[in-house]
Amino acid sequence: MHKMLVEKEVQPHRRSGLMTYRPKMAKKLLRKSPSSSNKFNSANMTDDFQLHLDSSDDDAPEEVTFEESKASALRSMKNALETSKREKDLLKEKRRKRQELFQEQKKRRLLPAHILEEIDTAPAKKQKLPGDQAESNHEEASCSWEEGREGSKEGYEKETKKGFKGNIRSLKGNYSVMRVADQSSTNSQQQTAMDFIQARLYGPGSQRTTNNELLSLENKRGPNKSAAMQFVNKKWGTEKKAKAEKLKKQWIQKQKVPSS
Amino acid sequence: MGEFKVHRVRFFDYMPTAIRAMAFNAHTERLALGRMDGSVEIFNFADHYFQEKVIPGKDSRSIEALCWVGGRLFSAGLNGEITEYDLENLRPKYSLEAYGGPIWTITSNSQGAHLAIGCEDGTVKLFEVLEESIQFERNLDRQKGRIISLSWHPSGTQIAAGMMDMIRVFDAVSMLLVDRGFGGSKSRETVVWSVVFLSDCTIISGDSAGKVQVWDGHTGTLVKTHLVTKWDVLALSVSKDESSVVVGTSEGTVIQFQFIAPTLQQQQDKEWVRTRTFKNHTHDVRALAEIETAIVSGGMDTQLVVRPLLEKFDERSHASALRKIQFPHRNLVFCAKKAGLLLFQFPGQLELWRLGESDGHGENLTHMDGKREMGKYSQYHAHYCRSRQPIHLMTNSVDGKWLATANSDCEIHVYNVQKLKLHCIVPVYGSCPSAMGIHPTTNNLTMVHADQQIFEYSIVEKQYTDWSRKLQKQGLHNLWLDRDTPVTHVTFNPKNPEQILLHDMHMFCIIDQSLPLPDQKTQFYNQMTLRSLSEQERPSHLHAFKICKTFQDLLSVSLLDDQSLVMVERPLLAITSQLPAPVRQKKFAT
Repeated sequence: MHKMLVEKEVQPHRRSGLMTYRPKMAKKLLRKSPSSSNKFNSANMTDDFQLHLDSSDDDAPEEVTFEESKASALRSMKNALETSKREKDLLKEKRRKRQELFQEQKKRRLLPAHILEEIDTAPAKKQKLPGDQAESNHEEASCSWEEGREGSKEGYEKETKKGFKGNIRSLKGNYSVMRVADQSSTNSQQQTAMDFIQARLYGPGSQRTTNNELLSLENKRGPNKSAAMQFVNKKWGTEKKAKAEKLKKQWIQKQKVPSS
Repeated sequence: MGEFKVHRVRFFDYMPTAIRAMAFNAHTERLALGRMDGSVEIFNFADHYFQEKVIPGKDSRSIEALCWVGGRLFSAGLNGEITEYDLENLRPKYSLEAYGGPIWTITSNSQGAHLAIGCEDGTVKLFEVLEESIQFERNLDRQKGRIISLSWHPSGTQIAAGMMDMIRVFDAVSMLLVDRGFGGSKSRETVVWSVVFLSDCTIISGDSAGKVQVWDGHTGTLVKTHLVTKWDVLALSVSKDESSVVVGTSEGTVIQFQFIAPTLQQQQDKEWVRTRTFKNHTHDVRALAEIETAIVSGGMDTQLVVRPLLEKFDERSHASALRKIQFPHRNLVFCAKKAGLLLFQFPGQLELWRLGESDGHGENLTHMDGKREMGKYSQYHAHYCRSRQPIHLMTNSVDGKWLATANSDCEIHVYNVQKLKLHCIVPVYGSCPSAMGIHPTTNNLTMVHADQQIFEYSIVEKQYTDWSRKLQKQGLHNLWLDRDTPVTHVTFNPKNPEQILLHDMHMFCIIDQSLPLPDQKTQFYNQMTLRSLSEQERPSHLHAFKICKTFQDLLSVSLLDDQSLVMVERPLLAITSQLPAPVRQKKFAT
């Protein structure tokens, strides 16, 4: 029975329930045994016992004292408690590790610390911009009241105030300012409608061809049959074209020099 | 003619926009055209199909359908708004959000009291047309699919709505189920792109499977199916007397169905029979209108085609010929003559180019983005002109003293710029002026109208010049009057004060006022003949109109101070190469 209890690590509470139940049962059974050890000749009891205790046919039942059984019961309870405690600790450990991992990921997503520092300290450096002269004056005016209160920390206050209010942020890197009003105002319904009509007329199954083919067919079937239309691709021979341009410019320069 | 050095300019990448919708107003004989970039154009069909007004488009505005209610123009688009246009000030009057999602179609009933719109969310919304605005009235039962097309019954009591895979007739029990068709895709739903409701309760529909179906609106049954194309049938239009229906397809064909008896026997019932097929477009036809004497079609190839119906004309004449309107009827290129600079006008930007020396390549100086400016002269006009119509033409004299303006009411005013007041009003002529120019030395105003008439008016004397009276008396040559594109630019030769240079899309002409005017029997296009004649014979054969057809698809012709001509051409082939994809047609032996 103990073996079973150790293997099944899934349900601690049930186990302890079982555990607490079994010893009582065992106690009952065992208790019964000393008191009724002499009266073990009743058939029912013997049968039960043999089913439960797995003893040989002719031997007398083992003599187990009350103390012993109590001790073993207590031991098993302790073990059970310890196992559950261990499991709780394990869970706690797992949870802690997970939390750490999330913190790590969050940290990675934020900007590295040095950039944030830069952003915070930058406004303090840019106090002399013309457009913000008024603002910085305003800032200083509001700061001066604070300054009055906390004399020694003046400089630090100013900087932090400015950093806090953040009138200009010199964001380095590929940022651009865009207004929502400038964005295309097609909402999703309109976009769905446009996609619908585009799909019906030009989507799959619409059997479309190119303008090139249309014009080529006209050439082939017209009264004066001629070759297929070939559209000029401006990307052809870009290097050659660039070289020709350069030579042309040089030649024009040469022409101008002798005449001037 | 003289010899000129020519700068042949082809680097103006002018790209017209595809036509999306059109609506014809039979009372005023105006056609409203909606393009994919949101711009609206008004053509005067009574005045030689002249492009009277242009309302530029905006990115946020989308036009899916147009409709007239009396003299008022409404449009609806995928941005979910109904817009009414102010045709006098050439801008939208107001936009009303319909709250049904993108709007696919808008139509008015024959009484002009209600507007119905078909929305993406499956509702048909009815609006009441009030004096100065429209007001929401109610929704019809919401359907499961989007409403792509609508048509009122002439009585105004029923509406037929074309949706996905079916046609629903509101205020009636029937719901007509459109078959998915013979075409390959059984998995895709059939879209009923267009539907018309006739007064005898017949419904004709065109769908994406290429079928034109005739339904009985009373019983809700299919009477006849015509498979006209492998691709989609995109547009439908019915004539006023309901005897003819025209259908536009993705192939670029326009097919006519007529309600006639199929055989000559008297007892035969009339039915809808396919009669004519027109192939005037290379790309999808998305907008159609059948007017009294012609079929007007437009689509992705950006050309407006007017095909007069020959049975309505007694004889073959200029009026019964096919007309294609490809370029706008106004000047998009401005030339600085001394500096040799060209300014190109695009819908959202201006480009300034300098003309090159010998190779004709221009150098692009700047690339300016900006709105179209009328110039500072416009503020003077606002003070002094009482007309409510917008000005579409303006020209000033070289000495800066005079300014002439023309509006779409065919009124031409001349202002004295120095004194800032109206100098005179030129007598109104029936046709709208398409080009004007003031002579640098004589200060004579030369006007060319949409019907190709030419007038010369002396600003100083406030009357027509003698030459102009002579021309009117003689009359212009028939070949000149038969031209189908208007003159868009008039300019002069500073070295030869008797020459007037003008051009239209297909020709460039120098009028020499010192030469005799041609009469009807003279050979009009005589430049080639003159070249073959000897020196002695030539003078007797000369006439005033010297026409050159070497340069085609002209957008502008100007004369620089150094006597070199600048021809700005935009080959139609270059435009075609940049259009969206056409359908693939399998032709035998290709």
